[in-house]
Amino acid sequence: MRGTKGALIAVPTLVSAVLLQSYFWVPTFEDQARGDPGRLTRYISATIGDAGILNPTLATDTTSGEVNGLVFEGLIDRDLDLAFRGRVAESWRIFEEAYLFADAAVPIGDGTPARPDTLLARLRAAQAAGAPALRGVEAMEILAGETETIELAPATPGPTARPVRVTVRRPPRLKFTLQAVDQDFFTGLDRLLGGYVGRLDPRRYVEAPEPDAARRAAAEHVWPAEANPVIVFAVRRGVRFHDGVELTAKDVRFTYETIVDPRNLSPRVPDFEPVKRVETPDAYTVRVTYQRLFQPGFESWSMGILPEHLLNRDRLAAEARAAGRDPATFAVRDSAFNRRPVGSGPFRFVDWTSDVALRLRRFDGYWDGPANFREYLIRVIPDLLTTEVAFYAGTADTYGAQAHQVARLRDDPRFHAVQRLVLGYTYIGYNMRRPLFQDARVRRALGMAIDVDQIIRYLLYGQGERTTGPYPRQTPYYDPTVAPLPYDPEGAARLLAEAGWRRNAAGILEKDGQPLAFTLITNTGNEERKAVMVIAQDAWRRLGVRVDTLELEWAVFIYQRVDKGDFDALVLGWSMGLDPDIYQLFHSSQTGQFQLNFVGYRNPAADELMVRIRQEYDERRQIAMARELHRLIAADQPYTFLYVRRALSLLDGKIIRMVPGPDGQPRYLPFVPDRLGRVTYHFDQWIKTPTPVRPPYRPELSPG
Amino acid sequence: MLPFVVRALHRKTWTLLIVSIVSFAVVHLAPGSPSQIDPLNPRFTREQLERYRAAFDLDRPLYVQYGLFYQRLFTGQLRAFKDNQPVLPKIVERAWNSLPLFVVGTILVWCFAFPLGIAAAIRRGSWFDRATTVLVFALISVPGFYLAYLALIFVVRTFEVDVIGMQTFGRAAAGRWPWLMDRTWHLVLPSLLGATAGIAVLSRYVRSQMLEVISSDYVRTARAKGLPEDDVLYRHALRNGLLPFVTMLGLLVPGLIGGSVIFETIFAWPGIGRLGYEAILARDYPVIVALNFIAAVLTLLGTLLSDLLYMLVDPRIRL
Repeated sequence: MRGTKGALIAVPTLVSAVLLQSYFWVPTFEDQARGDPGRLTRYISATIGDAGILNPTLATDTTSGEVNGLVFEGLIDRDLDLAFRGRVAESWRIFEEAYLFADAAVPIGDGTPARPDTLLARLRAAQAAGAPALRGVEAMEILAGETETIELAPATPGPTARPVRVTVRRPPRLKFTLQAVDQDFFTGLDRLLGGYVGRLDPRRYVEAPEPDAARRAAAEHVWPAEANPVIVFAVRRGVRFHDGVELTAKDVRFTYETIVDPRNLSPRVPDFEPVKRVETPDAYTVRVTYQRLFQPGFESWSMGILPEHLLNRDRLAAEARAAGRDPATFAVRDSAFNRRPVGSGPFRFVDWTSDVALRLRRFDGYWDGPANFREYLIRVIPDLLTTEVAFYAGTADTYGAQAHQVARLRDDPRFHAVQRLVLGYTYIGYNMRRPLFQDARVRRALGMAIDVDQIIRYLLYGQGERTTGPYPRQTPYYDPTVAPLPYDPEGAARLLAEAGWRRNAAGILEKDGQPLAFTLITNTGNEERKAVMVIAQDAWRRLGVRVDTLELEWAVFIYQRVDKGDFDALVLGWSMGLDPDIYQLFHSSQTGQFQLNFVGYRNPAADELMVRIRQEYDERRQIAMARELHRLIAADQPYTFLYVRRALSLLDGKIIRMVPGPDGQPRYLPFVPDRLGRVTYHFDQWIKTPTPVRPPYRPELSPG
Repeated sequence: MLPFVVRALHRKTWTLLIVSIVSFAVVHLAPGSPSQIDPLNPRFTREQLERYRAAFDLDRPLYVQYGLFYQRLFTGQLRAFKDNQPVLPKIVERAWNSLPLFVVGTILVWCFAFPLGIAAAIRRGSWFDRATTVLVFALISVPGFYLAYLALIFVVRTFEVDVIGMQTFGRAAAGRWPWLMDRTWHLVLPSLLGATAGIAVLSRYVRSQMLEVISSDYVRTARAKGLPEDDVLYRHALRNGLLPFVTMLGLLVPGLIGGSVIFETIFAWPGIGRLGYEAILARDYPVIVALNFIAAVLTLLGTLLSDLLYMLVDPRIRL
C-alpha cells in the first residue's frame, strides 16, 4: 500500500506546484506599466459598487452617474465658479409669460368693469406713463376666452368611485411678455389696478356637480393670474451622438418625455413636474415653459440627452417583439440601451462586465475636441483596502483616502492630493412638536454644551469643518458671517436657567416638577453618528439633562420613528445639492407624515423666504435671501448644525494637465479646483506621463 | 433502491414547497425596503414611492406576490429591481465565475486535510501532532478577512503582481496559455484562503475518525497477524476511516452556488456570493429569493446524492 501513502503526499505537492507555477506567467506591475504604452493614455478609476442602469434619466447610483456623466451630455453644466455654462445648448434666454383673466364681471379699482379692451387700454396708458409695475413688459395682447371639460379623478379612490366631470369657463385673458422673470409682477399689477387681481376668485369659473369637485378643479385648473417662466435654449449645431447622428431639439424633447412617462419610473420626475410643455419650433431651438415660477428647475437641464432615433416608439416596439415581450408595456426602462448606452459626451461606451469593469473610449467626434486620455476604465473593487492596494500598485489611478489616512498620505510625493469639503452635513435635530424643544433657548443651550471642535479633532481625525446653517459651505448661499455656537457649558447652564430649568436634589434639571429628560436616537450601521450620539449624551448629562440613547435599524428608524414624528431628538445627516431650495427640509407645509421637515420647524418669515427663493431668477437677490434664511435658521436652531466632512482624493502623481503650447511642445499646467474642490473640470486635458512631472501641484483647501 | 429514490423525492418536494414559502416570507418580512425606494431621498414624493411600490408589485398582498414570483421564476420573466435585468442569466453567469474558486478550493481542502489528519492521527501525541493542532486552531480562530488582507498585502508587496479579480486587469491578449496561467494565478490566493478553514476543520475530523478506527479491534487483529504497519494503516484502517466522508461529497452540491462573500469582496471576484450579498443590502427581493430557492433545490439534491452514495459504499445500510 505504498501507493496510497505516496499519493497522500504526491497529490497535494503536485496541486500546489501546478497552482504556484502560474506565478511565472503573470506580468508584474512594472511589466504592465513599462511594457504597455497604452497605459499612459488610459485612466482607471475604482468604485465600490457596480453601475445599475446606464441611462441618465433613470440612474440613481454614483457609479452609473460617473459613466453617464462621460457618455452623455446635458444642455448645460457648471463651470469652475459653479456658474451655469452651455454645453449642448450654445446659449439660453429666460423670460416670463404672464396671463391675467379679463373678467367684465369684476371691477378694477375705480369701478370700471374689466373688459379686455378696457383693461388693455388702461395698462398701455400706464406703461406709456412709466408705471414701474409694467417696466419689464415687452408686449401685451388679448387672448380669447375658452371653455374646457375636465374629467376629475375621484376624490377618494375605490372600486365604486367614478371620475367627476367639471366645466371650466375661462374668460378672455391678457397675455404679458416680460423681459425677465419677476415674481412680484402681479403684486405690482394688483396695486396698479386697485386690487383687481386679488378679487378674481378661481371658483367663479368652475361648474361642477358638487362643491368639493368645484374646489379641487378651481385649485388645480384655474389660474386667474398665471406666471409662466420660459427658457429658450439654442442647441449647438454639429453636436453628434457616438453613432454619428446629429443631436437636435427633438432629442431634448424626447429626453423630457422619457422622464415624465410614468412607465419609466424616472427618479427625476419631481425636477420636471413644474414643466408645462417643451416645444421645438425648429431643429435647433428648445422652448421650455414652466407652469409656475420654479428657479431650481433650471439646473435639471444638465440632464444628459438621450438619442431619440435609438429609443423612439418604433425602435422600442421592434425590440419588444424581438425579446418576446408586449410592446404596449415595453418602455425605455426595459430597453437593452441601458446596458450599452449611446450618448453625445466626450467618451463612448465600449463594454461592461458586471461587477468587474466598465470600459469607455474617447469620442473623437466630440464637439469640444477629443480628450487626451484614449480610454476610461471604471473598475469595480468592493473592498476599500483592496482599492488602496490596487492604487499603490498603479492599477487604479485614484483613491479616496479614509480620514485616518489623510495625515499620512496628504504629503506623499508619489500622489496628487485633492482635498475638498463634502456636500452635506451632520446635525442633531430636535422634534419641536415636543413642548420641551419649543423654546429656542433650550435648543441653543444643548448645542452650546457640545464641543464640536473636539468631535472634529478626535472622531474625524481633523477631517471636518464646522457648519452653522442649512446650506453647504461651498455654495454662495451659505452666510460665512454666521458664527458657530460657542462651546460654553456654563453659558448653556445659564441659558437653561433663564428658560426656567433648575437642578433638583438629584442634580437633574427640572421645571414645574418635570425633569429635562429625552431620548436621542440614530440609525445603526453608521459608527460616526453613533459616536456623536454618545458624545452628545455625555455632554448633556453633565448639564443635568437625563438623556437616553437608542440605535435603530434603518427601516425601523425611518418608518416607525422619523416618518411618524415619534422621536425627541436624532442624529442624522443631509447630502445637499447646489441649489438654494430647502423648501422640503424646513418649510412648515412639509411637517406632515413622510415629509422631510420631520423636526416640525415652523417660522413664517422663513417660510416666506423659502417660497421667494424658489421663485427668484436673479442670482444676486437669491443669494441675499438665502443668506438671510441661513441667519434665521441659525438663530432658531431647529438643528444643532455640527460639521461637514472633508474628503481627500489621491491621484497618481504621473497624471498632469497637458495642453499643446504655441510651439507645438506640450505645456504642463497645474490642477485647478472648482468651488467644490473637484479638479475634474479640466479632465479632457489630463494625461499620464512616464515619470511624475514635478513639482506635484497641491490645491488649496476648499474655500470657506 | 428505486422505491427509496421515489419516496425521497416525494418527501423532498414537500420540503421544497415549505422552504419556498418560508424563504419568501422571511425576505419580505425582514425590515427594510428596496433601495430604489429610499424614503429619505428628497426627490421622491409620496405618490412616486407608491408608484414604485406598485411597479414592483410590492403593494399587493404577500400571497399574490408569492404566486407572481414563482410564476415569473419558472417562466424566466423574473427581473432584478436594481437594473431590470433577468435574474436567471445573472445567477448563471455568477455561478460560472464562482465555480473555479469552489472547485480549486475543494480540491485544496481534500488534498491537504486528509494527509494532515491521517499523519496527525498516526503520530498521535508527537510534536507533529501538537504543532498541527496549534496551527489548525489558529487557522480556525483567525478571522478569514484578516488573513486575506495580510496575504493580499504580502503578495502584492513581495511579488509585485496583480492578485485581485479573475485575471490581471487590462492586460492585452497574450495567447491562450499565458491567459490560462494568469487565470490560475488569480485563483490561488482566494481559493487557498477560502480553503484554510475547511482544511483546518476537516483535518480534525479525519484525525479523530482515524484515531477511532486505529484503536478498533480489527486493526489490532491485523497488527497481531503481523501485517506491515503501512498495510494496516493505509489498507485496513484508512478505508473504513474514510467512509463517513463519502457523504460530504453530496453536501458539496449546494456549494456550487454558494460562493464566499468575504473572499469575493476582498479579491474583487465577480462571484455569486457578492451578488447575493449586494442583493440583500439593496433588498433586491427577486435576486435574494431566487438564490434561496436554487440553493434549497441543490441542498435537497445533495442530501439525496449523499444518501445514495452512502448506500453504495456501505452495504450495511442498504435498504
